[in-house]
Amino acid sequence: MKRYIDNSAAWLSAANIIVVLVFLIFPIAVAVTMSFDAREYLGRFPPPEYSLRWYRHFFSDAYYLTGLATSLRLALITTIVSTTAGVSAAIALDRYVGPGKQALESLFLSPLIVPAVVIGFALLLFFANIGVFDGFTRLLGGHIIITFPYTVRTTLAGLVGIRKTLTEAAMSLGATERRAFWDITFPLARTGIVAGAVFAFAFSMDDVAVSLFLTSPDSYTLPVAMVSMMRTNFDLTIAAAAVMLMIFTFVLILVLDRTIGLDRLIGKGVFRS
Amino acid sequence: MKYSRSTALLLLPGFALFLALLVLPLANVLDESFRLFEPGRIGSAKDAAYTLFNYAEILTPSYLRYFAETFKFGVLSSLIALVVAFPIAYAVARQPSPILRKLAIGFLIGMMFLSTLVRVNALQLTFGPTGYGQLLSGLLNVSPNGRFYTELVVVFGLLHYLIPIAAITLLGTIQNLDPRLIDASQVLGASRLRSHLSITVPLCIPGLLSAFMICFTLCLSAFVVPMILGKGKVLFVSNLIYSRFSEIADYPSGSAVAITMLIVALITIYGITWMVSKRYGNLK
Repeated sequence: MKRYIDNSAAWLSAANIIVVLVFLIFPIAVAVTMSFDAREYLGRFPPPEYSLRWYRHFFSDAYYLTGLATSLRLALITTIVSTTAGVSAAIALDRYVGPGKQALESLFLSPLIVPAVVIGFALLLFFANIGVFDGFTRLLGGHIIITFPYTVRTTLAGLVGIRKTLTEAAMSLGATERRAFWDITFPLARTGIVAGAVFAFAFSMDDVAVSLFLTSPDSYTLPVAMVSMMRTNFDLTIAAAAVMLMIFTFVLILVLDRTIGLDRLIGKGVFRS
Repeated sequence: MKYSRSTALLLLPGFALFLALLVLPLANVLDESFRLFEPGRIGSAKDAAYTLFNYAEILTPSYLRYFAETFKFGVLSSLIALVVAFPIAYAVARQPSPILRKLAIGFLIGMMFLSTLVRVNALQLTFGPTGYGQLLSGLLNVSPNGRFYTELVVVFGLLHYLIPIAAITLLGTIQNLDPRLIDASQVLGASRLRSHLSITVPLCIPGLLSAFMICFTLCLSAFVVPMILGKGKVLFVSNLIYSRFSEIADYPSGSAVAITMLIVALITIYGITWMVSKRYGNLK
């Protein structure tokens, strides 16, 4: 009886894993296949013939290309601003000892718990009130505030592991505080900083909920362009764009693995030899 | 303290961003939420009278429906995600082969990072009329354009990103569990299932609660999934806020909904965190 129950539980758990894998992967496979569909219209899956027409269509459509250019420019500036601000805030938080350290830390992480739509809506009202109507500036504001907590958090996680004695040793050997920082702390904290920058770039490239409120007719991001196309027409250019976004995710994972190592990102746990 | 001036200087950019892009805008929303709205305008007038009307409106059934719907989908999808992700997290945490383990973790992280638009588009193509929509709705004996099928696809959309996140969160918890406890209980005669049910699961309750919290707050703020996959039939609170901006420009009402949504999110997060630390704080 015991063995019977155990066997069925083991089967159930294996079946669960397979069903979940299929559920996660199969739709993606369908989308990738459909993006190579040679038909001119959106037909049934699977496509009878394959071609690159939807990719050609994407790269000849000014609407998508403008969105892509804006997205890339926005993600780059966002990453620079929020990494700079995040890293300096994290260094200060790491050094600071005294009352309110915890409060200060949760203050900087608080944009994470405000729903994105609320941030988008709030910024829309605020920018209208203070008279900022330029789409790109508004988008930049929105993207900086949603990515900032990630850069603070990952940098802080990187800094906490560095022993203070290393800096003290450098300073006792005659280095100035600044020199000790650039020669000792910064190189050791680099992985955390890179992870934060990668997160910031990725979240900026992916955001819809905040951007949708802040776009203007001439400044819109690629995800916003894709969403409005998804609502109005059924066309496989979106699938082609989605496949390219996916390749972008894949590259990102590779970068993360090369710089930090995926295992370090998750941790191995206490009880692994 | 010798660092204090440079420390304050380092905090300055963060503070400035935080004040200008979060505190002031939210204060603005709070103020707007108490303003009287005159139909036909965009937002409230500069000197509009203060009123509680926008909040009173939320308590009417037509508004509460959005909150009820968001909660229903949030609780249901988060629970399914936890149940389904737990065995996966366990299998990865106890995976002896380092290559398989790395592949699995890479896969989960990749699925977590995948753009929402990629998922939504993939699910649209797979479960829509040109994919397997006819087949699946036929199997379930429902109309592919009916409410039930649309709700099902929305749940799929939520699960597609909740499952990887839940699995990664639970992975951390399970890894910190002493595997010898399971061995001990089995030596003492428990079946494998029994030892998991009476040891692994109870010890993972704090982790399960925080995974639930993460999933549920993600559902609360889900926006693209209901907007695209819900086809106008399933609408969450976030979609209500968006329609207050895009359709009728009733900013005071949108503000009241936004403030309410923010409070609900804060209560959920702090409530569950408080519960975990109070009841299970001694486990750590």
